[in-house]
Amino acid sequence: MIAYVLRRLLTGVVLAVLVTFITFLLLSPSFDSVVQNRLGQIANPDAAAALKADLGLDRPLLVQYLDWLGGVFRGDFGTSYFTSQQVDVAVVDRLAVTLSLVLVSLFLSAVISIVLGVVAAYRGGVIDRIAQSVSLAGHLIPSLLVAIVFVYLFAVKLQWLPATGYTPLSEDPLGWLKSITIPVIALTIGGAANLMAQVRGAMIDELNKDYVRTLRTRGISTRSIVLKHVLRNAAGPALTVLSLEFLTMLGGALIIENVFALPGFGAYAFAASLQADIPVIMGITAFAVMLVVVVNLITDLINGWLNPKARVL
Amino acid sequence: MRTRSTRPRRASRRLVGALGVAAVLSTAACSGGSDSDSGSGGGGETGARDATLTVGVQSAPASLDPAQLNEGQQGYVWNQGVFDTLLFLDNDLQLQPNAAESYEYSEDLKTLTLKIRAGMTFSNGDPVDAEAVRATLERTRTTAGSVQPKFDLVASIEAPDESTVVLTLSEPDSTLLYNLAGSAGVIAAPSTFGSADIALDPVGSGPYTLSDETAPGSTYVLERREDYWNVEEYPFQQVTVRVIQDPTATLNAVQAGELNAATIQANQVQQVEAAGFDVSDPIPTAVGTLLILDREGTIQPALADVRVRQAMNMAFDREGFVQALLQGAGEATNQFANPASDLYVDDLADEYPFDPEAARELMEEAGYADGFSISMPSTPITQRVEPLVTQALGDIGIDVTWEPQPPSNSASSMRSRQYPVAFWFAGLNVTELEAGDRFGTVSFFNPFEVPSPETDDLISQAAVETDPDERRDLYQQAAAITVEEAWFAPIMYTSVYYATNDGIQYLSEGAPFPSVRRFGFTG
Repeated sequence: MIAYVLRRLLTGVVLAVLVTFITFLLLSPSFDSVVQNRLGQIANPDAAAALKADLGLDRPLLVQYLDWLGGVFRGDFGTSYFTSQQVDVAVVDRLAVTLSLVLVSLFLSAVISIVLGVVAAYRGGVIDRIAQSVSLAGHLIPSLLVAIVFVYLFAVKLQWLPATGYTPLSEDPLGWLKSITIPVIALTIGGAANLMAQVRGAMIDELNKDYVRTLRTRGISTRSIVLKHVLRNAAGPALTVLSLEFLTMLGGALIIENVFALPGFGAYAFAASLQADIPVIMGITAFAVMLVVVVNLITDLINGWLNPKARVL
Repeated sequence: MRTRSTRPRRASRRLVGALGVAAVLSTAACSGGSDSDSGSGGGGETGARDATLTVGVQSAPASLDPAQLNEGQQGYVWNQGVFDTLLFLDNDLQLQPNAAESYEYSEDLKTLTLKIRAGMTFSNGDPVDAEAVRATLERTRTTAGSVQPKFDLVASIEAPDESTVVLTLSEPDSTLLYNLAGSAGVIAAPSTFGSADIALDPVGSGPYTLSDETAPGSTYVLERREDYWNVEEYPFQQVTVRVIQDPTATLNAVQAGELNAATIQANQVQQVEAAGFDVSDPIPTAVGTLLILDREGTIQPALADVRVRQAMNMAFDREGFVQALLQGAGEATNQFANPASDLYVDDLADEYPFDPEAARELMEEAGYADGFSISMPSTPITQRVEPLVTQALGDIGIDVTWEPQPPSNSASSMRSRQYPVAFWFAGLNVTELEAGDRFGTVSFFNPFEVPSPETDDLISQAAVETDPDERRDLYQQAAAITVEEAWFAPIMYTSVYYATNDGIQYLSEGAPFPSVRRFGFTG
């Protein structure tokens, strides 16, 4: 088990090295622009050359990349070319904002979709049709639109919630909750709709299987069959969708962060790309890859726990 | 829709007067204390002393290291914020003494002597003396960064006594005093130069310090220093600068009362006024222009012919651009200069009316009846104008190909000599600074370094001219050459609206160098 986890993490590290190397190659044509942007307006060629040398951007690409990689393994992600903020500190700060949104949205999506999905699959009939309509509506309504309407209603008109900005959880838990409420609702709508359809489908498949009939004949209560056996077996595919949903939300957070002026990971990545802030882009890429690797690993581990057949070891 | 068709010229006369009076390069000493500039300064006489200002800006400040400062909206954090500057460009574009209580040029304009105000302190308690000023300026002059080029003509900086700083120039520099009112004039505590914090939490002698609530990249909270020498000019006890990239988010924040000052867009004016905000008249901030870079025809020989360049100027329906792109929040122009500067020539305002027919005739005369092709760099900033530019030039036979460039390459692609023509939005500035980066042989907007001895000569004459009328005349002669020779094909001024609440007003009509002092209360 531990060997498996280690092997997966190691594969993740190799993947991260590959992805960051490709990112670095893609950034390399912008090196001169970085220097120009740092110097602004008319940079005299000597100053530009001096700064380029100072930043180490005149060395062979592979040397520069290995230098960066060496730093990362020593825990040094470098500092931003523009703000001089330490990249790891900045990324962790930003990630806290984005994960606040994404994890809370994911949790809500899971709860809502399991409740609705299970009820819809088991009860069928009108309840199922209502649940399906809700899911369809969730798919169709752009979450951004919901966000904009909610901001207008709850922030601008009623002033119950802030329209923009983020309050860290550690500073003010209630403020934190208020600052993420509307963004979380926006993210949850699409996520829950997607997931509910999955849960419902998987539940129906499972409910039609022979073992359910067998359990029934043995007099086990419906409640126990649905919650202990069927849901557990249906959870596998739903979990996979949930992990994909996590990645979708991470991407969607960029737009949501901009609309709510939240200092998150996506907004940070966007700003860094506009300036070609190389250490920041590299750091963001490395963190993002590792995040994806870890999420996939956790998904597989839970899947293995739920379903012994899916266990790799 | 508000209209302001007569405004630029009116503003032009008034501001030109103001600049004239400043007599920036005069040999006469100019001095004044904290009282002499209160009338035109930050206001604040009537506002409550415990007022707070929460202003939205579109991009996060880059480094706050004195050698790396930028003069955009992030100036709200450092310009008369964390840092004091030697001189100050007031809301009417007049230079005022500041941390330097007086300044004086030598006869040959190659020695500038600054008298440093006594009794000032940095926020860490260190005294601000001539040595601290010299050390900061010297550090900036010798550190590769955005401010360094502003010291190109400064040969040495000395502090002969504790209140005097002497800058010796290799040749006269008409932009120096203005630069000393901006990033080049910043003073930081020399004892903190080696500190790793200098880029994020620098120690300056300005009226504010950054508080612990600051979150770099998103929120900057400034607390007023009650022991600042000129504290009565600063009505805001606390200033919060919030980074909000998205205009819709800015609008939401304004309507929800989370900001009491922000720049907004033309289509947001009504909503913001309905929310109880005061909205300023549109204030021109930039000029959108086609830069005809390859005037010697290195890449595209046709551009060496002045008739072709003039034809390009006549291809644009400028009013149409203003309506289509700016919803009227702007003004057509055929000149690449601040309408309030000495470089704007009123008499040439009607040059190059929209006339594709005449433009095609000029093309034919020049031997390009069948037209030619050019490529131009495309960045997110130019994307909205591209279809209109393509169409307008296409109408006179010039085929435009837009080549995508990443946003970080805007400046480098324009200056790469790969493109004969580029589109640019250039910020409006004071005469001396605009002349420097637009109309000379060695200038930002002349990457091909097309020689122009006439304008160089006129600009350097203007730089040493002490009579304001004469000086204006020289600058106008230089500007007129650029219009007649069609170096550029300017199209429009773009404007912003300032929305303010809680009795706060935006006090300037378009001064560059954003600063907290542009906001205040009016009686």
